[in-house]
Amino acid sequence: MAGSQLKRLKASLKDQGIIGPQQSKKQKRKNALDAKANSDKRLNRSEALEGIREQFNPFQFKTNARGPKFDVTTSKPANDRAARGINGRPGLAKSIGEEKRRQTLLAEMQRRNKVGGLVDRRFGENDPTMTLEDKMIERFTREQQRNHKKSSLFDLEDDDEPSEGFLTHGGKAILFGDAEGVQDDFAEEDLPSGDESDGSHAEKRRLKRLRLEQTEEEESAEEDGQPERKKTKKEIYEEIIAKSKLHKYERQAAKEEDGELRAELDKALPELQSLLFQRPKPQSKDAEDGNAPVIIAGVEKTVLDKEYDVRVKQLAADKRAQPAERTKTDEEKAKEESKRLKELEEKRMKRMRGEADESEDEEMEDDEPVPAGKGTSNIHAERMAMIDHGDDDEFGLGEGIKLRPTATELGFDDEDDFLIDDDLVASGSDLELDSDEYGSEQEEEDSEQESDSDDDEFTKGLLTGNESKDSAFQIPADRKGDDKDGVPYTFPCPQNHEELLKTFQGIEVTKLPIAVQRIRALYHPKLDSRNKERLGNFSHALIQHVAYLGNSFEPHWFPTLESLLRHIHSLAKTFPIEVAKGYRTCLQEMEKERPLALSVGDLVLLTGIGTTFPTSDHFHQVVTPAMLSIGRYLGQKIPQNLADYATGTYLSILALQYQQLSKRYVPELINFCLNTLCSLAPRKPTEKLGSFPVHQPAPGIRIQGAVRNPLRKLTCADCQPDHVASLNPEEATTLKLAIVSTAASILKSAADTWHKHAAFSETFSPATLVLSHLLTTQNKAHLPVPLTTKLQDSVAALSRLLALSRLARRPLELHHHRPLAIRTYVPKFEDAFDPTKHYDPDRERAELAKLRAEHKRERKGAMRELRKDAAFMARENLRAKKVRDEAYEKKYKRLVAEIQGEEGHAANEYAKEKALRKKKR
Amino acid sequence: MPGTVMEPTAKSVSKRKRQEHGDESKKRRKSGGGESDDRKSQIKKLESEILESRKHYNNIVALVAFAKERSENPKHNLAAAEALCRVFISLLALGNLVRREDASEKEATVTAWLRDRLSEYHEALCAMMREEATAVKAMVLAMALVKAEALHMSDKGEAFFPQAFFSDLVAEILRSPFDQLREEFVDKFLNNYEDIRFYTLQAIPAILDGSDEDVKQSVQSNVFDLLVGLHNAPASSDDLEEFYVDPPKKKKHALLSLSQHKKRAQDAWLSLMQLGLDKEQKKKALEIMATSIAPWFTKPELLMDFLTDCYDSGGSTSLLALSGVFYLIQERNLDYPLFYTKLYSLLDADILHSKYRSRFFRLLDTFLASSHLPAVLVASFIKRLARLALNAPPSAIVAIVPWFYNIFKKHPLCTFMMHRVPRTKEERDRLETEGMDDPFLQDEEDPMETRAIDSCIWEIVQLQSHYHPNVATIAKIVSEQFTKQSYGLEDFLDHSYGSLLEAETAKEVKKPPVVEYMIPKRIFTKTDSIEEKDSLLVSLWDFGSS
Repeated sequence: MAGSQLKRLKASLKDQGIIGPQQSKKQKRKNALDAKANSDKRLNRSEALEGIREQFNPFQFKTNARGPKFDVTTSKPANDRAARGINGRPGLAKSIGEEKRRQTLLAEMQRRNKVGGLVDRRFGENDPTMTLEDKMIERFTREQQRNHKKSSLFDLEDDDEPSEGFLTHGGKAILFGDAEGVQDDFAEEDLPSGDESDGSHAEKRRLKRLRLEQTEEEESAEEDGQPERKKTKKEIYEEIIAKSKLHKYERQAAKEEDGELRAELDKALPELQSLLFQRPKPQSKDAEDGNAPVIIAGVEKTVLDKEYDVRVKQLAADKRAQPAERTKTDEEKAKEESKRLKELEEKRMKRMRGEADESEDEEMEDDEPVPAGKGTSNIHAERMAMIDHGDDDEFGLGEGIKLRPTATELGFDDEDDFLIDDDLVASGSDLELDSDEYGSEQEEEDSEQESDSDDDEFTKGLLTGNESKDSAFQIPADRKGDDKDGVPYTFPCPQNHEELLKTFQGIEVTKLPIAVQRIRALYHPKLDSRNKERLGNFSHALIQHVAYLGNSFEPHWFPTLESLLRHIHSLAKTFPIEVAKGYRTCLQEMEKERPLALSVGDLVLLTGIGTTFPTSDHFHQVVTPAMLSIGRYLGQKIPQNLADYATGTYLSILALQYQQLSKRYVPELINFCLNTLCSLAPRKPTEKLGSFPVHQPAPGIRIQGAVRNPLRKLTCADCQPDHVASLNPEEATTLKLAIVSTAASILKSAADTWHKHAAFSETFSPATLVLSHLLTTQNKAHLPVPLTTKLQDSVAALSRLLALSRLARRPLELHHHRPLAIRTYVPKFEDAFDPTKHYDPDRERAELAKLRAEHKRERKGAMRELRKDAAFMARENLRAKKVRDEAYEKKYKRLVAEIQGEEGHAANEYAKEKALRKKKR
Repeated sequence: MPGTVMEPTAKSVSKRKRQEHGDESKKRRKSGGGESDDRKSQIKKLESEILESRKHYNNIVALVAFAKERSENPKHNLAAAEALCRVFISLLALGNLVRREDASEKEATVTAWLRDRLSEYHEALCAMMREEATAVKAMVLAMALVKAEALHMSDKGEAFFPQAFFSDLVAEILRSPFDQLREEFVDKFLNNYEDIRFYTLQAIPAILDGSDEDVKQSVQSNVFDLLVGLHNAPASSDDLEEFYVDPPKKKKHALLSLSQHKKRAQDAWLSLMQLGLDKEQKKKALEIMATSIAPWFTKPELLMDFLTDCYDSGGSTSLLALSGVFYLIQERNLDYPLFYTKLYSLLDADILHSKYRSRFFRLLDTFLASSHLPAVLVASFIKRLARLALNAPPSAIVAIVPWFYNIFKKHPLCTFMMHRVPRTKEERDRLETEGMDDPFLQDEEDPMETRAIDSCIWEIVQLQSHYHPNVATIAKIVSEQFTKQSYGLEDFLDHSYGSLLEAETAKEVKKPPVVEYMIPKRIFTKTDSIEEKDSLLVSLWDFGSS
C-alpha cells in the first residue's frame, strides 16, 4: 500500500464509511428517522473503528509469524483468534501488570520501613485472665474517668454529647441514673434531627471551623471602618460563645416550630383516619388524650409511645385464628386408619423380604447380619444385589397377607374394639373413681399425646386409650399408703432386677401389673427428664423379672405374665433400644449358661420376643438371635427325659408361630418332631423313615400300654425336669401321649404353613412315614383310640397336602436372567481427536502428567512474575533516585545561583565602591 | 568393687551351708530310724569296699539282694540300686566285665561271675520297675546302665547296644500300668534319641507277640499310645542326628538308614494292627493316619487292609478312613473299586450333623473337583446333599450351597438341575395336569443310577426361605446369575450354632429395632370372642387358663 500513514488512515476510514462525502439535509433527516438503522450503524461504526485501530497498531498483537501450523489437523474454525495466529496482546498485558504492581508492590515499597496500622488498645483485650464482665466494668470506669477529666468547663462542643466511640449497651449509651439530670434540659430538642444528631466529631469540627471563619468575616466587615485593634483572646472566645449560644437558640426555635407543626398535623390525623375508616377507633381517642401531654411535657409522650409500642407488639404476636381441621366423619376416620394399617403392613412385608427402606438404607447396611468368616463382604454385597431383584414367589409372599387379615378386611370396628378393650388397667383397682375427678387433666394429657404423636406413629391409635387410662397421673404423688389389694401407690423406680425384687416384695404376683402400671405412671417421661432413663432401666429389669417369674411359675400366673409382657411391649414402643437390649442380654446369658437346658422362664421370654417384635422380618436384632437359640435347642438337644421332649415341643410350637407370617422353613423343627415321635413310639421303626438324624431314646421313654390313658395338652409344668421326675408311671405315660399328640398337631400345622414350599413333599413325606409307623398294628395296640384317630387325621391331612404339592410341582426355572454382555476388545476411537492432547489410557498416569504440566506452567509463571516484579522495583527505585537527584541538582543549582547572585552583587558593589573611590580620588 | 568381690564368697558360703544343712537333714533322717540308718551306711560301706579292691566283689551279691529285697521302704532298694549302678558303671569303665581272650582262667571266671551278677541286677531293676514308687528311678538307672554297657561291653572299641537287656526294659515299660513311667520314657528318651526309638520299635513286635492274654489288652493300648506319640518321621537319613549311645562307625549300619527306622516303625504298627484296634483307637489312628502314621511306612500299601476295613465299617470311622484311603490313592496309586459308590453311601442322615463335617467336605471337594467325572454322578451327589440339607443345621447349609455353586460351575451339565424348561407341548400339558414327582431315586445306592440329573434342587429353593437370614441369602446364590468364578469354601466350613449366635449377639443395638405395632390382646390366655382365633401356642398348649 502506498502513501503515508495518514493517507492510509484516511483511506481506510473512507472504506468503512465512517467518513465520506457530505450528506444532504434530506439524507440526514432520513437517517435520523430510521432509528433502528441508526443504532445499528453506530454499533458498526465503533466496531469498524476498533478494527482500524488494531490494523494501525501492529505491535499490540503477538502473532505467529508464519501463521498457524498444520491447519488441516485442527477442527477449530478458520477465523478463530488462535487460528489466525494471534497469541496474545503484549501491550495490554504489560499495562495491566504494571497497573497491578503499581497498586500492590509500589504501595508496599512506599510503606516499607514505616510503622503504621491499627493497634488495639482497648483495655484488657489481650488479657485472657480477665473475664468479660471485668473487662467491661474496667472499660466503663476508664471511660467515665476520661470523660470526667476531659469535660472542661468551657468545652462547648463536648458537653452536648459524649465523645465518639463511647461504650454502649444494647445500642444505648450507658449512663448513670443521675446522668439525665446533669444533661442540659434542651439537649433533646437541641438536636436538629435524628439524622444529624449522630453526626460525627469531624463533622462538628468542620462546622466549628466554618463558624469561626464566618464570625471573623463578620467582625472584619463590622469593624471595617473602625481602627484596627487587636482583640484579646478572651474577647474572641466570649464572642464565640455568644455566637454559638445564639445559634443554638435559633436551632431550638426552628425545631420548636417544626414540632408545633407536627403536633397540629397529629391532631388532625385522627379525624383523617376516622374519615378513612368510617368508624371511630378507641386508639384514636387515646392518641387524642395523649396529644395534650405531648405538648406539655416530653416525658408523658414517651410513656404513651411505649404503651403504643407494646400494644402493637401484642397485636402482632396475637395468634391468628387458624383454620380448624374439618371434623372427620366416621368413614373418613376409618379410611385413614385402614390406610395407616395398610402402610404398616406394607412396611412389614418389605422388611420380611429384606428390602430396606430408602431412608433406612444406610443403617440397614450396618445392621445386616454378616456371617462370621472371611468371605463375609462378598456375601454381603451379593445379598444386597439379590435383595434388589428378589423374586416374590420364592418367598411365598402372595399368601402372606391372606392368612393375616389386613385392617381393611377386618373392618375398622375391630380396631375400635381394640381401642376400647385394650386397657391395661386390671379391673378391681379403684382407678376408675379417680379418673372422674381428674378428667380434665386426662383430656389435656390426651391432647398432648396427640400433639406429640409424631415420635411414635404406632402409639397414636393404639395406645392413647391405654396410656390415658393406665397412667395413674390421677394418683397424687403425695398420697401414701396402699390400696385394698395391698399395692402401694408410690414406688421407687427400680433400676435393676435386685431393686425390682425388693420393690415388689410383698406384692402378690397377680397384682404386679397394677404396680407396674403405677410405676409407669409415676415415672412418665413427661414428668421428668430423667424418667426416660429410669423407665428404660425399669423395662430391662422387668424383662428379667418376667423370666424370673417364669422360672418359678404357677399356672394361674399366666394372665399376669401376659399382661406384664404386654407392658413390656408397650414400653418397647417408647424404649425400643432398652427393651431390645434387655431381651438380648437375657438371650446371651441363656446361650452362655444353658443353651441346651432352657427353663420355663426362657420359654416365656422367647414367647415375649415373638409377640413384641415382628417375627416376619428378614433380619431383626432380637428375633434372629432368639430364633437361632430355638433352632439350637431343637437341633442339638438329645432329649434325655420327658421334660426335654416337652420343652422341645414348646419351642417347636413357638418356632412355628414365629414363622406364621413369613413362612420360613425351620429344619430343626421337623427333625425334632419326627425324632420325638420315633422315640416315643412303642416300637422302634425297623427301617429308616427319612433323612433326619435319629437319636436312640433313653430307656423307659417309649410308650407302653397306654390304651386307657386320657389325652391332654402339655403344660409348662411338664417342662420342668423336677416335676417330671416326680410323676408316677401312669402320669408319665399320659405326658408321653400328650407329647405325641402335640407333636402330631405341630406337624400338621407346619404342613399348613409350609405347603407352598418347593420341597414340601421331600420335607413331609418322612413325617407321613413316621406317623403311619405309629399307626401300625403293633404300635397302635399301645395307644389310646383318641390319639390314633388324631394321628390318622394328621396323616390324611398330610397326604392330601402332599398330593397337592405333587400337582403343583414344576421343574425349576431359576435362570431366566438377561444374558451377560461379552466384554468387547474393539479399540476405542476418538471422534474429536486432537493431536495436542494426550490420550493416555492409563488414567493415573494421565492425571500425573497433567499435574506435572500444570506445575511446570505455574513455576514458569511464578518465575516470570518474580522477574517482572524485580524489574519493576528496580525501575521504581531508579525513578525515585532520579527524582531525588533532580531535586538535589535543582537545589544545588539554586544555591549556586544564589551565591553567584550574591557574589555578583558584592562584586558589583565592590566595583561601584572602587569606581566611587576612584571618582573621589 | 567390694560387692563383686563379696558375692562369690557369700555364694560359696551359702552353698557350703546348704550342703551342710543337707547333710544334717540326711543325718537326722537317718537317726530317725535306726534300722534304715544302718542299712544306708551299710550300703555305702559295701559300695566303697567294692570300689576299693577286688576282694570285696562279693559285696555285690549282698547289694543285689538288698535291691531285690521286698521291703516297705523302697528307698533302700533304690539306694542299693543306685550304688550297684555306680559300681557296675565303674567296673564297666575299668573293663572288668569284658571277656578278653588273653585273660587268665581266673580272670575269666571273675568276669563270668560279674556278668552273672550284672544280669541279676538287670532282673532286680526290672522288678523295681513294677513298683510304682521306684519305677521311674529304676528306669533312669537302667537307661544309664544301658549306656555304660553299650560303651564298654564290647572289646572292639565300638559301642554295642545291649539289645537283649533293652528289649526287656521296653517290655517292662510297656507292660507297666504306670502312665508316669511311660511318659517319662517317651519324653526323655524315645522322642529325643534316634537309636532308642529304633530299638524300641524293634522290640515292640516281639513284646506284642510274647505278652500273656491277661495283660495283652493293656500292652496293646500302651503300645498304641506310644506309637501315636511318636514324632514325625525324619525326612532323610541325614536328619538322624541325636543318638543316646555313640552311633556305629560303619556307614551301612541299620541305625543310620532311615528306611530301616521306618521299617521298624512299620513292623511295630503292623503287628499292632494285626491284633486289632478298638473303635476309639481306630478313630484316633485314622485321624492322624495321613499326617503321622503313613509317613513312617516304607510301604504304605500295607495300610491298605486296615484302611479299607475301616472305610467299609461305616459311620464316622469311614469318614475318618476316607482321608487315609485318599492318601493311598493319591500317593500309592491304590485302586479302590467303587470308590464313588462308597463315597456316595457315606452321605447319610448323620453326616451333616457330624463333627467331622468340615473335614469330610474338604475331602469331598477334592474328590469331586475333577471335571472328568460324569455329570450323572456329580448330580447324584448334589441331589443327595440337597435332600440332606432339608434336615441340616444352618451351619451345614451354609457350607453346602457355595460348594454346589462351585460344582455347578465345574460341571455345567448339572445346571439343568436349576433350570429346566419343558421342551414340548405335551410335556407342558402333562406338567399342567399332573404335576410331577421327583425323579430322583433316594434309595438307589449306585450314584450312576439315581436319575438325579433329571431332578431339580427344589430343596435349595425351599432353603431360600430359611429362618436364618444369612442362610437364606446364601441359598439364593443358586438362583442368581453365576458371575463369580467360585466361592472360597473355607470361609463357609467352620460355623456352628454358637458361632452364628456369637456373630448376632456381638453387635451392639444402635438403631432402635422395629416393634410390632399391634399389642396382642392375648398371649397365654384364650380369647373370649368367637371371631378371633387363638394363636398357635394357645391352641396347642395348656397355660392353665382353659
